[in-house]
Amino acid sequence: MIRFDQVSKRYEGGHEALSQLSFHVAPGEMAFVTGHSGAGKSTLLKLLGLIERPSHGLITLDGQSLSKVGRGGIPKLRRRIGMVFQDHRLLMDRTVFANVELPLVIGGIAPVERGRRVRAALEKVGLLAYERQLPATLSTGEQQRVGIARAIVAKPTLLIADEPTGNLDPQLAVEIMSLFAEFQQVGTTVLVASHDLPLIKRMRKRVVVLDHGRLVADVAAQEVL
Amino acid sequence: MTTPSEFPNEAPVMAEAAPRVERSRARPVASWREHHGWSAAASLRRLMSRPVGTLLTVAVMALALALPLTFYLLLGNVQKLGDVLGQNQTVSMFLQPSQSGTAVDLLATKLRERADIATVSVKTPQQGMDELAKMQGFSGALHMLDNNPLPYAIEVLPKPGLNADDVARLVTDLRGMQGVDLVQDSGTWRQRLDALLGVGNRAVLVLAVLLALAVLLVVGNTVRVDIASRSEEIGVLMLVGASRAFVRRPYLYAGIWYGLFSGALAAGVAMLVEIALAEPVTRLSHVYDGKLQVGALPVWVLGAVPLVAALLGWLGARLVSAWQLRKAS
Repeated sequence: MIRFDQVSKRYEGGHEALSQLSFHVAPGEMAFVTGHSGAGKSTLLKLLGLIERPSHGLITLDGQSLSKVGRGGIPKLRRRIGMVFQDHRLLMDRTVFANVELPLVIGGIAPVERGRRVRAALEKVGLLAYERQLPATLSTGEQQRVGIARAIVAKPTLLIADEPTGNLDPQLAVEIMSLFAEFQQVGTTVLVASHDLPLIKRMRKRVVVLDHGRLVADVAAQEVL
Repeated sequence: MTTPSEFPNEAPVMAEAAPRVERSRARPVASWREHHGWSAAASLRRLMSRPVGTLLTVAVMALALALPLTFYLLLGNVQKLGDVLGQNQTVSMFLQPSQSGTAVDLLATKLRERADIATVSVKTPQQGMDELAKMQGFSGALHMLDNNPLPYAIEVLPKPGLNADDVARLVTDLRGMQGVDLVQDSGTWRQRLDALLGVGNRAVLVLAVLLALAVLLVVGNTVRVDIASRSEEIGVLMLVGASRAFVRRPYLYAGIWYGLFSGALAAGVAMLVEIALAEPVTRLSHVYDGKLQVGALPVWVLGAVPLVAALLGWLGARLVSAWQLRKAS
């Protein structure tokens, strides 16, 4: 599904966010990427979403080399990926329904089908009753769940999340992570960047540990204590 | 939140990306139509969400469009007035004093046979003297004359519908006739008016082009500010897979809406000017035996104004959005 092969990323100014990174995530697998602040977790996800390009190395997604994806191909690739952000990135002047509907509108899905799928996604994250509300009227946790509903509504093959529980209380964080685990159970590949080690341990999934842009540990799910 | 077992249909919701792609590919026309419908509605909602700003922009554009329209309308009315006055354009022939009444009658008969002359009226020297006597200040002076110095005169009214060149040809013919001393053409003023109208028409054209540019700039700047204030939203749209064209489309529709609304308002302003002109023109019309009617803008012009304005709005939005979105994304 995801393959990083000797990937490095050096930003303008010389900071090397990732260095010679190689790892592989199988289809339908869920993995955490962890490490201290500045370890390269966010950069890794940005490379997958083609928000950034690697300086060296090869990234493949479903066998497709991302370096061969031109500017015109980026939107198509992003439609195959569901992205969840720590700050939710919701459109605050649109309803919950309209926010979740966006990827389907972009994907050219018919209105009736859109309505069905948005409601299914909102039901999945427990927010069906809030579809007509504006995001600002929801709690932080609820806003994050709207972001998750938006990420899954277009049936992505890959779900990536950057610190999705960063602003949430521990109980809510567990709920959100459990939701990701559910998506993995139905075949979606899930990659979550988080620095919340206790939470990661609790989830008992594969953990990729980064330090200063280098892979320092790759712990299989069954080895997580 | 719920558990997976509560969703027997959850697999289609969360996985199977391929069928989705196939579905949107299988219905490209419907998808294209839906994208445009969504963008048009979204941009309209956006304009309506800030009514004061939208109204001000539309009003500025409408005034810019209404100005050349109003001038065009005024010029049209001046032209009409000229046409009406032109119907009274007479050519006066003063004959040589040696011409007898019989010779003058013969000449008048000859003139009446011409296809480019509507009426011919002969004035004897005595009739001329009587007219002069009626004019204030002349009666005393005329008594001092021993005999009548006035010649026979023939007033010729050209056929209605003759253009300036035809009338000029007629005047030349009249000047060349035997026994004719002097020919006076009252239509010279008409030529001057036509020349002035030509200048006016050109000025309206230049004004229209300049104000069309102003409309482009107004829309362009409005869209530029709109895009700048929505850079966050644009970022989100791109992250969830929107193409540049998709992101840009609502702004193009915004340009079209601005153009349509301002064009319709400009047409309304022009109609108000027509109504305002109607009353004085009617009064003027009475002076010319009701021949003068207020010249209204043709319906096709009124209909075309919003469409042309929409085109201008689209163009302004297109020029600016391409550049601004590149910056924003």
